[in-house]
Amino acid sequence: MTVPPDRGVSRRSFLKGSAVVGIATTGLDAAAGAVRPTRPASFGPGQHEIALLVNGSEQKVKVETRTTLLDALRDGLDLTGAKKICDRGSCGGCTVLMDGVAVNACLTLAMDAVGSKLTTVESLTDKDAVHPLVQNFVQCDAMQCGFCTPGMVMSSLACLQKRGKPTVEQMKHDLSGNLCRCGTYGRVMEAIERTAQAGGK
Amino acid sequence: MKPFTYVLPQTLAEASAAAKQPDTVLKGAGIDLIDRMKERLQTPAQVVNLLPLHKEMAGIAVAADGSVTIGAGTTLAMLEQHAAFATPALAGLRTAAATTASPQVRNRATVAGNLLQFTRCWYVRSEAFHCLHGGRGPTCLAMTGENRYHAVLGWQDCVRVHPSNLAPALLALDADYTTVLGDKRTTRKLRDLFPADPRAQNPEHTLQQGEIVTSITLPKQPEGTITVYGESREKETFDWATTACAVRLVLAGGTITAADLVLGAVAPVPLPRPQAAKLLVGQKPSSELFAKVAETAYAGASPLTHNAYKLTVGKAVVRDVLERASKGMS
Repeated sequence: MTVPPDRGVSRRSFLKGSAVVGIATTGLDAAAGAVRPTRPASFGPGQHEIALLVNGSEQKVKVETRTTLLDALRDGLDLTGAKKICDRGSCGGCTVLMDGVAVNACLTLAMDAVGSKLTTVESLTDKDAVHPLVQNFVQCDAMQCGFCTPGMVMSSLACLQKRGKPTVEQMKHDLSGNLCRCGTYGRVMEAIERTAQAGGK
Repeated sequence: MKPFTYVLPQTLAEASAAAKQPDTVLKGAGIDLIDRMKERLQTPAQVVNLLPLHKEMAGIAVAADGSVTIGAGTTLAMLEQHAAFATPALAGLRTAAATTASPQVRNRATVAGNLLQFTRCWYVRSEAFHCLHGGRGPTCLAMTGENRYHAVLGWQDCVRVHPSNLAPALLALDADYTTVLGDKRTTRKLRDLFPADPRAQNPEHTLQQGEIVTSITLPKQPEGTITVYGESREKETFDWATTACAVRLVLAGGTITAADLVLGAVAPVPLPRPQAAKLLVGQKPSSELFAKVAETAYAGASPLTHNAYKLTVGKAVVRDVLERASKGMS
């Protein structure tokens, strides 16, 4: 498991710390080595370690069989871009790309993602370098409260990668799994259009 | 979710053997199952994951005789995009796949999962309600409660509706389904997948414990076949239908020579309406004819307190679908 950069004690790291204590006292299965579940086998119900291929690098993370990909990303790997909003696949806030297509991380078991190439919204920024799509989201003011934005960006990215220069109809089709209660849809499509015109994917 | 053991079979036989064990469920993408497990409506001790059997169970193949086999693990997105479904004869199925749920769901959801998903009735899907179909109470709470999305046809002691989009489209195409149970492979008519007697106590499908749907086969459609699927719903995307209709017409020289009509989202099972389809055969398409067919499709309906609108809207959907089919607009 990668160690996230130290950001001092946050509410998240505090909760994680207390969760670890809880696990230690209940005595779940000792973690096996990182596994790639391709052979006939069974796992769980306790904790074990799996390897996920996230944003181009293999990362080990401890999960239970019931851990969703979203929880593994957020709590295990500290990739908190994907948001847990409805947790039932209704809002699209948790959208990540799995082998290049948009999926709901909340409805995917972490175990099911082993062996797939995962792309999260974090891959679109590297220190000060920002993906053109993200830049256009900012320039088009394509967010208000911003909570749906990471999911919206990932669906937009999938749309651009699939279609190159998508039409408005195609954008509507591809974004139809993402809800924005602030109603930023028009500007999101503008951001996609600008990115497509500049040839960015 | 309650903890469970996650089984990764290497072969279908292994999967079927594992699935025969008590307190075990089969999982494809798990779109519906994980939802129900989060709600603790289902708390299996063991989940058998069918995704590793992708090679045996996913994909679309067109045979030399013109029949099309769809692997049970094929995603809805694959159905939506595959060239085999660009023909007018199979366009209804493509529309049904393309309008199901959201792009994120379609990218993972499987054909078998769509057919076998549990009803969306809000009483049975909430542990708090003591409903008959959930085995938690003595009566169907929807029958006298909030029932605007419930059945108007074919219900007895439970007014749930079958939520699958694909089922009406596949039934209109006279599809078969193949299953594996142990080392026994069986092919049956798709209508046999759904209970003949959809009472509350009966499961929503006829599969035995450990039986795995492996593929769906569509027979070759005659020259001049067109299928159309249409539905009414409250949201343009990412919603379940309030009423749905799939039709298959075979047109020769402006006359309908064969027809099938199947209703969805209005009964506890996807509902073929052979009496309505029969009216079309040997006739020339006309609005009057289609109005009569729509009336017959909903003949014998018993709407509940809040869903009589389904009759008006449902008949309009039937007429619309027939108009589109007769004009070659899939």
